[in-house]
Amino acid sequence: MLTAQQLNSDFESKTEGEIKKLLSWSAIEDADVERIASIASVSEDFSDAVIQKFYDHILSFEEAADMFASESTLERVKRGQKEYFRQLTAGVYDQKYFAERKRIGQIHETAGIGPALYIGAYAFYLNQVGLELLERVGSPEEAFRLHLSLLKLAHLDMALALQTYVEARETTIEAQQREMSELPTPVLQVKAGLLLVPVVGTLDSHRARSLTIALLESIQSMRARVLVLDITGVSAVDSMVANHLLQTMTAARLMGAHSIITGISPTVAEALVKIGVDATSLNTFGDLERGFEEAERIMSAHREE
Amino acid sequence: MADLRSSLRVTIARDADVVAARQRGRAVAAEVGLSRPDQALLATAISELARNVVNYAGRGEALIEAVSQVGRRGVLVTVSDNGPGIDNIEAALSDGFSTGGSLGLGLPGARRIVDEFDIESKPGEGVRVRILKWA
Ligand SMILES: Nc1ncnc2c1ncn2[C@@H]1O[C@H](COP(=O)(O)OP(=O)(O)OP(=O)(O)O)[C@@H](O)[C@H]1O
Ligand SMILES: [Mg+2]
Repeated sequence: MLTAQQLNSDFESKTEGEIKKLLSWSAIEDADVERIASIASVSEDFSDAVIQKFYDHILSFEEAADMFASESTLERVKRGQKEYFRQLTAGVYDQKYFAERKRIGQIHETAGIGPALYIGAYAFYLNQVGLELLERVGSPEEAFRLHLSLLKLAHLDMALALQTYVEARETTIEAQQREMSELPTPVLQVKAGLLLVPVVGTLDSHRARSLTIALLESIQSMRARVLVLDITGVSAVDSMVANHLLQTMTAARLMGAHSIITGISPTVAEALVKIGVDATSLNTFGDLERGFEEAERIMSAHREE
Repeated sequence: MADLRSSLRVTIARDADVVAARQRGRAVAAEVGLSRPDQALLATAISELARNVVNYAGRGEALIEAVSQVGRRGVLVTVSDNGPGIDNIEAALSDGFSTGGSLGLGLPGARRIVDEFDIESKPGEGVRVRILKWA
């Protein structure tokens, strides 16, 4: 069976076997490929006419007209279209073909041509091709079979283009998340020797590391004795997050500061217990107020020493 | 065809995917009727399994499904990878065992959280863990 992973559009790294699998998932058989290749010269003849109709159609919409404002751009994409049609009907569907599909998908994505526009325009195009085939190919039955074979390839094309859209979107989202996780974690000095760190969001390993570093630097520069880590804003924990918190506390201790954790919600507490994290090692003190009380106690004990 | 329901299949290859898998799991759990605390617990279990995939196998996937049985509904999550696999499953399932210098609580913790837990692994062929939590 085909998984999303196999449909993943990284064709440079796709093996021949994987491409075969993609083709057979779309039920593209040798007969289809032969049928399409047999009309290569016919399609060469009508491709200009189809492309002309295609652009007449999309240019009747303002948005598209803006996009192809200059004559040279229009000529360039028309040439690209013709080349695409040549490839589609050439009957060779190899790594290069798929890599090219991906490149085109990316261009559409960057140009802001969403899936609805893309598929709509594709439908118009296939319609025109179908009409040409009816006129130029021997019998209507033959034309119909040809069109069915072309449809298989066209749908694989669209599937790959959509996959490219999704992947491009994911990359953007991931970049944004990374950006957010690189936001400096605020380390607030409540009073001399006492630091407060409000931890919010998800603590992935990247973020946890930058938090630890920010904290240790602050302990040094602000000569902190006590550190209050408030995790009210953390919605989910797992053993890795717990481990990061414990390591941060240990590192802080090495630098001469005590750590206190506050703001553990009942659900987070239950999860920690179920996972088996030793509650005492986390040194938790209910809410922020209780945490500050404990911080005061530790600091005055230090002063008396 | 089940394979194409990509909304319920999450590829796991990086930190952001762990979060995505956890969130999808939580959403399905809510749909199926798990209590809020149970949704959070299931999310934690998914987090543990997905994190292991990122840390030890590099790449894998999570399949999240709503299941029903006479009179009850639940969430079945299958997390699988084709990584190096686990040599000694019994050891990996015990508290405190870690080859990654971590707490070693992921697998045993996830097991305590859910109603049904099943792990299969052959060295060199990856790991498949299935967890089920009833509403
Ligand atoms: N998907 C996997 N592939 C290969 N090995 C794994 C996988 N999942 C777990 N292991 C092995 O099992 C051990 C125990 O896993 P477990 O999740 O319980 O602990 P951990 O990941 O080491 O630490 P923690 O989850 O507490 O941060 C791991 O250290 C690792 O050696
Ligand atoms: Mg783990």
